[in-house]
Amino acid sequence: MFQLLNTILIGITAGAIYSLMATAIVLVWRSTRVINFAQAGMALLSTYFGYEAMVHFNSFWIALPVAMVGGAAVAALIELVFMRLLVKRSSTGPIAAVAPIIATLGLLGLIKGLISTFWGGADVRLVGPVTNIGYSIGDKTLAFSPLKLLTLCTVVVLMLLLTVLFQKSNIGLSLRASAYSPEIARLSGVKVDFVRTLGWSLAGASGAVAGMFQTVNGNGAFSPESIEFSLLLISGFIAAIIGGLESLIGAVIGGLVLGLVVSFVLMYISSSLFFIAPFLILLIILFIRPQGIIGVKAARRG
Amino acid sequence: MDKLKGANKLGLYVVSGFILFLLGNRVDELRVYQGASIAVFVVAISSIILLTGYSGQVSLGHGALMAIGAYSAVISRNSFHTPVILTFVIAVLIAAIGGALLGAAAARLSGPYLAGTTLALAIGLPSLANQFSILGGEQGIFFDVGFPPPSLGEGFTQYKWFFWIAALAALISMWLVANILRSRFGRNWRAGRSNETAAALSGINVSRSKILAFTISAGVAGLAGALLSMTIGIVSPSAFPLTLSFSLLTGAVLSGVSTLSGVMIGAVTLVAIPEIADAVATRIGVSERLTTNLPGLMVSTLLILTVLFVPNGPVEQHRTRQARKAAREKH
Amino acid sequence: MKAMNRRKLFTVCATIAVASLAVTAIPAQAAEVGVSSSEIKLGMTLPMTGTASPGYNKIPGAVKAYFDYVNANGGINGRKLTLVVKDDQYVPTLAVAKTNELILKDKVMALLAPLGTANNKAVASVVNPGARGIPTLFVNTGFSGFADKKKYPTTFSLLPSYIMEAKIMAEYIKDNFAGKKLGLLYQDDDFGDDALAGFKQAGLNFDVKVAYASGSQGDKVSPAQWVTKLQAGGAEVVILFGVSSATAAALGTASVMKFAPQWILGSVGGDATTIKASGVPAGVLYNAVGASFAPATTDTADEYVKLFQEIYLKANPTETFDNNVMVGMNTAFLTAQALKAAGTNPTRKSLIAAIEKSGKNFASAALVPLNYSTTSHVGYNGYWFGKYSPTGDLKPAGGVYTVYTTDSGNGAVVKSTYKRPAMPAKGLPN
Repeated sequence: MFQLLNTILIGITAGAIYSLMATAIVLVWRSTRVINFAQAGMALLSTYFGYEAMVHFNSFWIALPVAMVGGAAVAALIELVFMRLLVKRSSTGPIAAVAPIIATLGLLGLIKGLISTFWGGADVRLVGPVTNIGYSIGDKTLAFSPLKLLTLCTVVVLMLLLTVLFQKSNIGLSLRASAYSPEIARLSGVKVDFVRTLGWSLAGASGAVAGMFQTVNGNGAFSPESIEFSLLLISGFIAAIIGGLESLIGAVIGGLVLGLVVSFVLMYISSSLFFIAPFLILLIILFIRPQGIIGVKAARRG
Repeated sequence: MDKLKGANKLGLYVVSGFILFLLGNRVDELRVYQGASIAVFVVAISSIILLTGYSGQVSLGHGALMAIGAYSAVISRNSFHTPVILTFVIAVLIAAIGGALLGAAAARLSGPYLAGTTLALAIGLPSLANQFSILGGEQGIFFDVGFPPPSLGEGFTQYKWFFWIAALAALISMWLVANILRSRFGRNWRAGRSNETAAALSGINVSRSKILAFTISAGVAGLAGALLSMTIGIVSPSAFPLTLSFSLLTGAVLSGVSTLSGVMIGAVTLVAIPEIADAVATRIGVSERLTTNLPGLMVSTLLILTVLFVPNGPVEQHRTRQARKAAREKH
Repeated sequence: MKAMNRRKLFTVCATIAVASLAVTAIPAQAAEVGVSSSEIKLGMTLPMTGTASPGYNKIPGAVKAYFDYVNANGGINGRKLTLVVKDDQYVPTLAVAKTNELILKDKVMALLAPLGTANNKAVASVVNPGARGIPTLFVNTGFSGFADKKKYPTTFSLLPSYIMEAKIMAEYIKDNFAGKKLGLLYQDDDFGDDALAGFKQAGLNFDVKVAYASGSQGDKVSPAQWVTKLQAGGAEVVILFGVSSATAAALGTASVMKFAPQWILGSVGGDATTIKASGVPAGVLYNAVGASFAPATTDTADEYVKLFQEIYLKANPTETFDNNVMVGMNTAFLTAQALKAAGTNPTRKSLIAAIEKSGKNFASAALVPLNYSTTSHVGYNGYWFGKYSPTGDLKPAGGVYTVYTTDSGNGAVVKSTYKRPAMPAKGLPN
């Protein structure tokens, strides 16, 4: 019972963070039809911004917004300078299918290399705002702590904010319109360029939150080569695909499904199955629904 | 002129082979070893070029197909003591079967979903080895193609033997791939890539053609995997990390994703960059941090610049320029 | 036209290939590879980055500090000692590639203290320094197999084997924690298998066993699961027989899950500085049991600890002197003696012969004897046990080192009577 409860709690916390990353990937996909492999690199960079703020102000509550703003700014910059040029230069010919993938992979390498050159390869440390010591039931202590609770709350609040933003304004629609048919969108009065940049910045900010919480929920240490960030990339991407790439709710469901299944596999089957479990989940889901759980069928030819 | 090309080409491959043979005798062991690595990359990158450049499908999972080839090779070699050539043939066949399965799944998926599935495959499949003791776990299984035949003489090193095998395999597979691409299949792939509907209307079974592309590409990747594990001597999950799949894409883009003839450029670049970075770092004496990161930074920068400025690769770029020049001269 | 261009391109590509291959090769000249009139070059592979690197990445700094000390005092017969370090990230395939580089490109005389069981096995089988006559000195792993001279003719073990460690640990548990429920965390590869073999031989049974995957993916993804399993299994005494990062991850996660059994840390992952540096509060370590063959690093009354600490901190003023550093410097000290014993013009052959002939008489900081001979490549063969202090330093129980020795076979565990000889003057080879 204790073991089962812990498995679920570990899965939900991990899943919540994956959802954030998946959200970032969905936002970029919806705004520019690009799968951003550099998202984890950008999250890492934002987490370093957060670390710098932590060093100066010694408060997680300052570090978090700094990371978010920094992440959003970097994302906007990449979209403005780099992605626009990319769309202009290599959207035709046989390269078109792979250009965005290659370009963002290149970015990932570049960002990681720059981070290691600037901050070095050694671990640096972030400390969470509340304790990570677990809650107790009787004589057993759960794998769930105030810090994990805070993580869940933050994810829920962010998701609600994004949903409200999308529903109260027509940003959601504009995003989709700009991605599908920039020309028509522009004619019907959508500020296409602005909307695309906005999509990227929102993604940058959610990635930053994912990076910060992934770090403090682990042992707090991170470095350019931290496995946590490779996990963020892979899990976020797979969660987004499972969820169907088109909706925020899909990203959340994808993240939670992935987090829970992986947690159960690690606990009850084998801890060395870590990387196979996501693949199998993905295969099974795509086999039943090639467009993901919440995906739109017509939209999958992207 | 076009008729003559096939025969000419074969001659070309034979000549290249001879040049490589002479070269292999003149350089030191390290270069020979690097030569073998280049040959392995040539094979691996050409499998990507075939799939992505010609048939228009994206795979982030070729590392996994290489792993299939490598594991098939090592198991047949160690358990059934197959001769070297047969070992590699088995690697090709089993990887091709894996590719056919993946291709069948891929035909249902497109764009990001295919990328996602192949990415998950690249991460998931190699670690399957941890589950089955016959696959040797994280530590892997040692792969020994045997010592060079004694008739080649005393001074014939193990690395030179690797180089011979890899270079020969590269030449043969390049020749085959080049011919397949010029055949009906190649034309069908290109037709399907540029316009699926039009291709289907003109009687091409697009999804079958795509699956075939995946199958052949996987076979070639399987060969590359077997060759790779021959040169490093072990087959283990860590020999096929996600970064391997990524470097293959990088190599393909540097080569020009739709020009098989540029494949050397990508392969040489991938092998040479660490060395160049090392030389640059020692020459200008940068900080230790920069030295360790320089190769990564160089590859990434080169990749981004290529995508932005030479998106279809140096060969295609050169061709377009020549064509333009010719057109101008005519007018 | 088109065909011509293609051919031209092919030529261009071929030229690139030729050029890249034909960058000049250095002609062989000296009497022995890696030995010139002014320098002896040695190479080391170990994880300098990546998950498994914490703690171990201080070893090169320690070795270099001692080498520089020797060099400043005239070197070995006038030759300076240089160490080339390559990062293998604890990945066997990378270890193979990097060792190849050390041998072919850097042309080192010998490999020094390459780290990791799986890595050394891969290198031995693929690069095969044994067949090529390249000495592989003082491998940084306790896998018992490396002492097998027939299989690994040029390899010298140094650390007591994992089988020895497990046997001695089992004895300690029987003496101190009889009847308690036992838990074990071990690495899912040869390193772990060797330990399991030792525990089995000692007749020790575990109530909960948790394996974690070795290599790059291993230990950061599932510590919460390990701890849950150990806790659910009711373990009262838990042995952590893993690398530093896994040990630290287990301790850190256990502390936030308030799981506090009696910890017993294996020598591989038991370095207190590394554990503390990864965010584990020193208090968690308090009263945990640990094992070592070298004197405690806080024991500054010990002449070796005093000298090594002085040399190391002079070279690396911002670092902490810890057990990894201590063992690293001791390895460097043995290396210097071996090279000195290999004659005025050392060769790979004479180096191996020198260790076989006089290795067991080399001065060393360890409290257990060396066992080298023409028939044995076994290094140290024993451990002392102690407990971690409130500040997280491993100290012998009651301030007295009680050393136990055994072998990797079915020999008994016995109390050692070894008395360490005095340190040679200035800690230099004589």
